[in-house]
Amino acid sequence: MMSHTILGSLARRGTVRAARAWLLGVLGALGLALVSGWAWAGDKVEQPIEFPHDIHAGKMGINCMYCHTYARRSKVAGIPPLRKCMGCHENIESVKDKPRIKKLFEYWEKKEAIPFKKVHDLPDFVRFNHERHIQRFYFQLGRPVQEVCGYCHGNVAGMTVAEKVEPLSMGWCISCHQKDHPDAPAGTRVNFPRMSLADSPAQEPKAETSHGPNDCWQCHK
Amino acid sequence: MKNLQRRDFLRVLGWGGASASVAACGFTSVDSGVETVKSYVEPEDFNVPGVGIYYASTCTQCEGLCGVVGRVRDGRILKLEGNVASTINNGKLCGLGQASVQHHYNPDRLRAPLLRKDGELKPITWAEAMPILLDRTAATRDGRFAFLTGPVSGHFKVLAGNTTEALGSRQHLVYDPLSTRINRVAAEQVLGSGAPRLLLEQAQVIVSFGADFLDTWVSPVHFAGQYARFRRATEDKPRGTLVQIEPRMTLTGANADRWIAIRPGTEGVLALGIAHALLAARPSAAGAVPPALVTAATAFDRSRVLTDTGVSAEAFDRLVKLLQDRSPAVVLSGPSAEGHVHGYSNAQAILALNWVLGSVGKTVVAPVKSPFPQIAAESGDTAALRQFADGLAAGRFDTVFIHDVNPVYSAPAFLKIPELLPKAGFKVVFAQYRDETANLADLVLPVDSSLEDWGTHVAPYQGENLELTLQQPLMERLYPDGTRSVGDVLLEVLKRQRPQEYKGFADYYAYLRAALVANRAAFAPIDGDDEYFWTEALSRGVLHVKAGAEAHGAEHAPARLPALELDFAGATTPAGDPYPFTLAPAVRALRDGRHANLPWLQETPDSLTTIVWDSWAEVHPATAKRLGIVDGDILEIASASGSLKVQAYVFPGLHPDVIGLPLGQGHESMGRYANGIGVNPFRILDPVFDRRTGELAMYATRVRVSKTGTRTNIVSDEGWKSGNLKTQAGRKLVAVLPADKAKLSEEV
Amino acid sequence: MSLDATLNDWTKLRQTHPLPGSHPDLKWAMAIDLDACTGCNACVVACYAENNLPVVGKEKFAAGQAMHWMRIERYWNEADENAPEQGAQFLPMMCQQCEAAPCETVCPVGATNHTNDGLNSQVYNRCIGSRYCSANCPYKVRYFNWYNYPEQVKAWPEPLPMQLNPDLTVRTKGVMEKCTFCVQRLTDAKNNARTEGRPIRDGEVTTACAQACPTSAITFGNLSDAHSQVAQKWRLQRVELDKDKQLKDIDGSHPGLRGYRIFEDLRPYPSVMYLERVRDTQA
Repeated sequence: MMSHTILGSLARRGTVRAARAWLLGVLGALGLALVSGWAWAGDKVEQPIEFPHDIHAGKMGINCMYCHTYARRSKVAGIPPLRKCMGCHENIESVKDKPRIKKLFEYWEKKEAIPFKKVHDLPDFVRFNHERHIQRFYFQLGRPVQEVCGYCHGNVAGMTVAEKVEPLSMGWCISCHQKDHPDAPAGTRVNFPRMSLADSPAQEPKAETSHGPNDCWQCHK
Repeated sequence: MKNLQRRDFLRVLGWGGASASVAACGFTSVDSGVETVKSYVEPEDFNVPGVGIYYASTCTQCEGLCGVVGRVRDGRILKLEGNVASTINNGKLCGLGQASVQHHYNPDRLRAPLLRKDGELKPITWAEAMPILLDRTAATRDGRFAFLTGPVSGHFKVLAGNTTEALGSRQHLVYDPLSTRINRVAAEQVLGSGAPRLLLEQAQVIVSFGADFLDTWVSPVHFAGQYARFRRATEDKPRGTLVQIEPRMTLTGANADRWIAIRPGTEGVLALGIAHALLAARPSAAGAVPPALVTAATAFDRSRVLTDTGVSAEAFDRLVKLLQDRSPAVVLSGPSAEGHVHGYSNAQAILALNWVLGSVGKTVVAPVKSPFPQIAAESGDTAALRQFADGLAAGRFDTVFIHDVNPVYSAPAFLKIPELLPKAGFKVVFAQYRDETANLADLVLPVDSSLEDWGTHVAPYQGENLELTLQQPLMERLYPDGTRSVGDVLLEVLKRQRPQEYKGFADYYAYLRAALVANRAAFAPIDGDDEYFWTEALSRGVLHVKAGAEAHGAEHAPARLPALELDFAGATTPAGDPYPFTLAPAVRALRDGRHANLPWLQETPDSLTTIVWDSWAEVHPATAKRLGIVDGDILEIASASGSLKVQAYVFPGLHPDVIGLPLGQGHESMGRYANGIGVNPFRILDPVFDRRTGELAMYATRVRVSKTGTRTNIVSDEGWKSGNLKTQAGRKLVAVLPADKAKLSEEV
Repeated sequence: MSLDATLNDWTKLRQTHPLPGSHPDLKWAMAIDLDACTGCNACVVACYAENNLPVVGKEKFAAGQAMHWMRIERYWNEADENAPEQGAQFLPMMCQQCEAAPCETVCPVGATNHTNDGLNSQVYNRCIGSRYCSANCPYKVRYFNWYNYPEQVKAWPEPLPMQLNPDLTVRTKGVMEKCTFCVQRLTDAKNNARTEGRPIRDGEVTTACAQACPTSAITFGNLSDAHSQVAQKWRLQRVELDKDKQLKDIDGSHPGLRGYRIFEDLRPYPSVMYLERVRDTQA
């Protein structure tokens, strides 16, 4: 019913009332924003081993891609293979008695993969390519690795196990892709408009630089 | 919750732009902490998650034995592609090969050995099965053992032969229900080799008497590749012309420039008639033709040939003219010409035309000679089945092994295999499915699929290089406690029977590796140590066998003209036969029935009829009109040996005296995608055999047709949903251009 | 509305056409040689394997609910329907990725669009299943998921799901699907080329059907790359993407050329060119 909607109230009431309705609407949206800020912010996920990123990436300053080595060459960043952990830890005597390290060694003895829970789990109909993002921001633009990974994954160097701090929804991804990059090398150029219109004057096609993928099939499978 | 997201998206938009910018506030399908992600433990460097790895192997779905590469992700094989390293298929792969993955992942695969206890097959473990197998085998005395296999080659052939020998027997019987033995023997006789190389792409004319080389004959992917080049025109060579002569249209026939329907069995007569006409026009050519052919051809003048074969005068004259005007040609003989009492004579007459046309040494050349006859292909025949049946009837076998064939299904009913098989003492069936033969076994041993097993193969038809293709597992066994490699099992038997010879081999893998490494000098060189040679060979998937200089690419004609044995007695059927039609049992995608449980193949429409998930009886339009048969009528097709009920399909690609029936359906026991579907024409074949080779004459069964009065809807891709359109109804869908107008040599 | 105005509007109906050069870098297209096509169906099975197509079974096939994105149509010559002396004609038919696709304009939610590289996209998670797109498609190459194939129809009993390709989804009930020119392979190829900082090479990526075809009847590639096989074929055949009537057809020059597009007069501007089947009439 029209009267119950904001639009309805705008239509029926006068300007002042319309302004009040509008203010209410904005406050409501802001409130929603605050609330939703909690809705996606990291519920800390319980992992089989509470891997301390703060020690490895924070204190030691190990490059994210030392462990998450597949990020630069595959769609998936990947949890590092057990061999990667052991590569260092079989030689670090000082922490061999720590409970988490003991657990790690238990898995290694049994040659069993650690069943981590996926923290940044995009739906199956989304095709997200780590390689493209790492190649652009880390290799091409030379930004520091923690800034690059941190944009989506947050301040991992300040966490033990990873926590989801960004919504990772389509709208959030698009918000970055909509930023104008006039100097960026174009993705796939397309001349715009693509189709002629019968009674419009002949249009001069102009190449549109890609703001990142602007066709659904780049990201949806 | 997930399914609601799309609707919620629209609802959110309805609240106005404000909320959309707060990123759908929690209305997102992004999960956290729900799914588990496991890393690898100790992967190889090249194992990158998200990127497929390709491993080479061999496709074993038919006798083409094409090289394949399998795309493996996260330790699972997903899809096969052709291996570009193999000169058999050159990177291409047919639908049958693609469907191999469905054998591997088939839900009806046997997952435990079965032992007959109190008359019923009960599951047991391999730990229980192996001692039973080894003890029963060891107890076999006086060579009372038979090993019935399908076509074999490579080291499995060696193991099977050695197992048979170790048990004191000579009965390694190689059975192929779709035998091409008549062709091989005739080719040996007439062309100097059982499997000559056919240079189709160099021919100007191919005349095929029923050889379905584009779909089911010998090495279809290889010939299809040649056919593509045959059809292309270059500056030096115009587009090739294909003429197909057969009683029932095969896929190759559907692609012919000229398809000629012929009275079944009279192919040899036609060939002699063509020879007669060609020699009459050019008597000087007779010197290069086998004298027996020249003599025989004199009796086959044009009018006699036209009367006997039913071919029109116009078609005959055009064919003769074509062969006179265009050169080089190649003439092929196929199962429909060979499947008769006089099939061997038909095949000889047809193949001998290659001499008349001067093809021998040009488009029909000797194959590369293999230095390893012990691993060369043994293609099998139906005589092996008769030998097996005779042995069973005489009570000659205490122990029987059966592998890679299903005789209870594919044997004609008159051989009474289901009644004879129980006469063998102890029957061991190596199978992937609980098929009809496994159901009569005493011990059923489930084997690895071809995608999880090792092996070596030598294709019966070789291309320009003599190749040994390797087979390696494309993933770990799906059922590690449930299936084993048949090679491993045979090796265990051999270790028991001949411990000294075989104790050094831990398993079949070790046996193959040792055999290939020991003979590495026989292959085109791979520089490096033995370990490197082995891994390089596996990664390529194909090893080129070095043949002697004189044997390679021997494009020469056999030294002497062959002597021919032509005997056409009994070729014509008496009039007034109670069985007025000839049955044409057609080989289609399911081949001899082994692929019936593959859903992709059942769902893929038959190329010529577009029918799916069923059998059908092909009836010529004139016959249908005469007998009042329409599509979908349930007919009873009866021979003297049995009868079947099957839906009718009016099909123009037939000689009017022929009823076509596809082979491969009609399983009673195999799996959910095969059981109870269609009918099995193998059952009703008559006991007619080729006079010379003793092979079952597949095209010599006579049938009568009667309507049962019931009707069904045919399920096909051109069915009622597509508007029953069998023609293009005036639309330009497939446009056809006459060859003399096409400018093919200018194309890219 | 006056009759004049109606007629005026009608003639203006669908007067749009693709502008030349609208895809300067990448435009995926195919050329299918009908003389080389033998109708063997290797492409059909390869497509099932690559794209997670469900097997629907006999009953649903009879109801016209088959899911074969690529199908082989078999026709008999009208003249000799009862005595096919020139054999049969086979037509591999799949989504023609039309530049002016009749399906794109009618989707109520915009689930089907045109991509920058010239494909007709089908976004499963946006589709609400109105099926207007398949009604509009003149080639009838759009297939609707009438059922929940994994759970309802049990199209993949264990362990068949292990064969499924992880690079694309298994579609849910209520969603339209069609041939995508194996977009998952194209995306991978574009990704690899970008990482290496080079354009996509001709032959580097191909569709499952083209890869399987034993006679290499299907040529796939980038029409905007002048040196690619497919661009050369289109050029030699004098078929242009953005024309609804080719010059060679208007003036009848070059009668020996074989290239044509199906239903070109309906003006969808398909991206698949077929080469006429050739028969030796003297045989």
